[in-house]
Amino acid sequence: MIRLVAGLLIAAVTLALPAVLDDSALAVYILLGLAAMVTVGVSLLMGYAGQVSLGQGAFYAIGAYTAALLALNGVPPLAGLVAAPVVAALSALVIGTPLLRLRGHHLAFATLAMQLILLSLAGQLEFTGGDIGLQAIPQFSIGSFEAAGAATYAYLTWAGLALVMLVTRNVITSRPGRALRALATSETAAASSGIPVGRYKLVVFALSAAFAGLAGGIYCFYTGYVAPGSFPVLISIQYIVMAVVGGLGTIWGAVVGASAITLLLQALNTLSALPGMPTYAPSVLSYAVYALVLIVVVLFLPQGLLPAVTDRLSRKRRSTPVETR
Amino acid sequence: MSAFLTYLLNGLAVGCAIALIASGLVAIHRVTGVVNFAQGTFAVVAGLCTSSLLGLGFPHGLSELAAVLAAAVAGLLTGLAAIGRRGTTPLSALIVTLGAGVLAYAVEIVLWGDQPRSAPGLAGSVTVAGARIQTQHLLVIGVTAATFVLLALFFGRTYLGKALTACASNPYAARVVGIDVRKMGLLAFALGGLLGGIAGVLVTPLRPISFDTDVTLIVNGFAAAVFGALTRPVITLIGALLLGVAETMAAGYGYGSHQLEVALGLMLVVMIVQASRRSAISLEST
Amino acid sequence: MIDVKDLVVSYGTATALEHVTLTVRRGEMVALLGPNGAGKSTLANTLAGLLKPSSGTVHADGRVALIPEGRQLFPDLTVADNLALGGWRSGQRDPALVYDLLPRLAELAGRRAGVLSGGEQQMVAFGRAMMSRPDVLVVDELSLGLAPTVTADLAAHLAALNAEQGLTVLLIEQNARLAFELCRRAYVLESGRLVTEGECAVLADDPRVASAYLGGAIT
Repeated sequence: MIRLVAGLLIAAVTLALPAVLDDSALAVYILLGLAAMVTVGVSLLMGYAGQVSLGQGAFYAIGAYTAALLALNGVPPLAGLVAAPVVAALSALVIGTPLLRLRGHHLAFATLAMQLILLSLAGQLEFTGGDIGLQAIPQFSIGSFEAAGAATYAYLTWAGLALVMLVTRNVITSRPGRALRALATSETAAASSGIPVGRYKLVVFALSAAFAGLAGGIYCFYTGYVAPGSFPVLISIQYIVMAVVGGLGTIWGAVVGASAITLLLQALNTLSALPGMPTYAPSVLSYAVYALVLIVVVLFLPQGLLPAVTDRLSRKRRSTPVETR
Repeated sequence: MSAFLTYLLNGLAVGCAIALIASGLVAIHRVTGVVNFAQGTFAVVAGLCTSSLLGLGFPHGLSELAAVLAAAVAGLLTGLAAIGRRGTTPLSALIVTLGAGVLAYAVEIVLWGDQPRSAPGLAGSVTVAGARIQTQHLLVIGVTAATFVLLALFFGRTYLGKALTACASNPYAARVVGIDVRKMGLLAFALGGLLGGIAGVLVTPLRPISFDTDVTLIVNGFAAAVFGALTRPVITLIGALLLGVAETMAAGYGYGSHQLEVALGLMLVVMIVQASRRSAISLEST
Repeated sequence: MIDVKDLVVSYGTATALEHVTLTVRRGEMVALLGPNGAGKSTLANTLAGLLKPSSGTVHADGRVALIPEGRQLFPDLTVADNLALGGWRSGQRDPALVYDLLPRLAELAGRRAGVLSGGEQQMVAFGRAMMSRPDVLVVDELSLGLAPTVTADLAAHLAALNAEQGLTVLLIEQNARLAFELCRRAYVLESGRLVTEGECAVLADDPRVASAYLGGAIT
């Protein structure tokens, strides 16, 4: 009952916010939603498949470029938006098929490599617009309805996030999902109980890429341009920070983590814009915050912020392992 | 032909720097099971330190030595964060080293700004069989060769080196005989910092270095290390040299803008080949 | 001596040892019997300081060395290096110390430990433990997977060390016949609890012990 009321309340606030926020606040709101969308995937990947992607920004970029290129070539934006997650997922399948069977760090570096290659290529190739990128991407539209104004994109973003969360929820509660949970804790146990470990990991990887691709698709219509500079390596690290902060493998944790980090960075940006702050303050502060939050949470709150808080509330205590190293 | 030889020697020098980074990765991974994402950072720290110390008027030699030691300290600190706490899994430790690398960005920008810095190295060039090669390149090759010989002696001949190998070979047995595996892990991290530092000090005179150069360095280093399955130093060295030569050739023959793609593509191919070969043996590898 | 009082060891929520109390007097050689999964190796690792008690105390006079189950050598290193590392605690780095004791090891010195036979590996593990100049030796499954003649050879060395140098030994075994031959007293551990203890001669006549560990009455 409490959950239902809380859910309705959150839904109501989510829906009401775009109507009351001004444009600059809406921009934060949209970017937060997009980041949450990617983070749900990262959290699923890390929490359920025990894999780290250091290049989730690559799938975000693939989604953005896919939608942008299609829209610029006269394809209806809706088709572009559908194609974005599909192409991202296909890329994930291509890279993931051989690599997912290896230790986690291989995939981590492969995805990082993919993002670097992608950025480098996008910066050099003609059809991606080189370093300048793709400009004048048409507004998102469905039939005769054309998205105008940030509020529409806010609704689109949060509808997308709702879809992503719903899909993730269904995946987690399905029978394979419960098997995946076992996979994250003990791959040996999962494999010996007949779970097709490799295939499940791959599906989760592709799914997480699809989420990032969808977010990228929305992003390109919202901003109207995409360029290699929009997808630095740091953006991929940012998603990991968000997922870790929220608690791996939790849907709401990913949203909370994305919100916490986005708002924190926003506050820091405001802070570093104050008079008297050195010019390097914004980048230094954001690097330091990413790093410290990541290290502190991984070492001291390995379950993430949200589970840690809810655990504390319900006074659950875990017995400590006694093995010494 | 002389152009080819020039590219080859330059490529070997580039490969040597990669080899030093990669050997640090291998040393740390063998002993601790952790892939250290901050390995490129150590080189950046050393490079920036040298440029500052030389700029302040400290003599060559002393500056480089201090910079390498600073990198070793950075390695030790990274190790403390990554494996200092009981029960940190290798994947969590990877994320912590990632955090350490990003934290270093903040520190480096405060100390050195965000613009690339260089440092004077050995000036001049020599002609070898009709190919002109910068003296600094020869220095890189010489120092790397000496470092690898010392490493081989350290691991093969000294008691401490054997204890490190023992931790890599069988961590449980190492604990049985009383070796503190975590301390050895920290030592490996410091050694990794040292090796990364040597690479940074050698490379800075050739290519200006900035806080975010670490990504290129770690990716190249990882590519070479993955060639030796992250455990085999000699194959790693060969991989690094091949990588350096391939990149320099690509640049020399007019594909300069695709240097990174060459390295990354090669790394992906190696990993995929290894993966398909190993997956036949076992699905189980976490 | 070894003095274990009311020892409880748990892994997370699973308890491996429950309120175990046992004593091995200085210079004594005592056997610990029990089936797979009884908690014998947990006790061995706790005695060696590799596991922490959840409650209770573990005390041993002097230096404890462990010959772990499954030898646990450094397969990539030579026999000489394996032995040298055995002296990590004692500072004794020259394997010559154990070559007098186990001359066969001198012949194997240059070989990689990973390529040796099971019996040779057990001998290296034995020598490696002795390199630390222990006062107390915990042997976890001396005979496991070895031919009887090889076991007898190692057992003879162990008995000699015990008799001549007063080495205190806890011999953890599944092979009760061997244990009863070497030791005067024994403890029996099942599912983390000590179920019985006493003189080996008496235990050997205990029908439950005989049927569980000796495959029928001893003759």
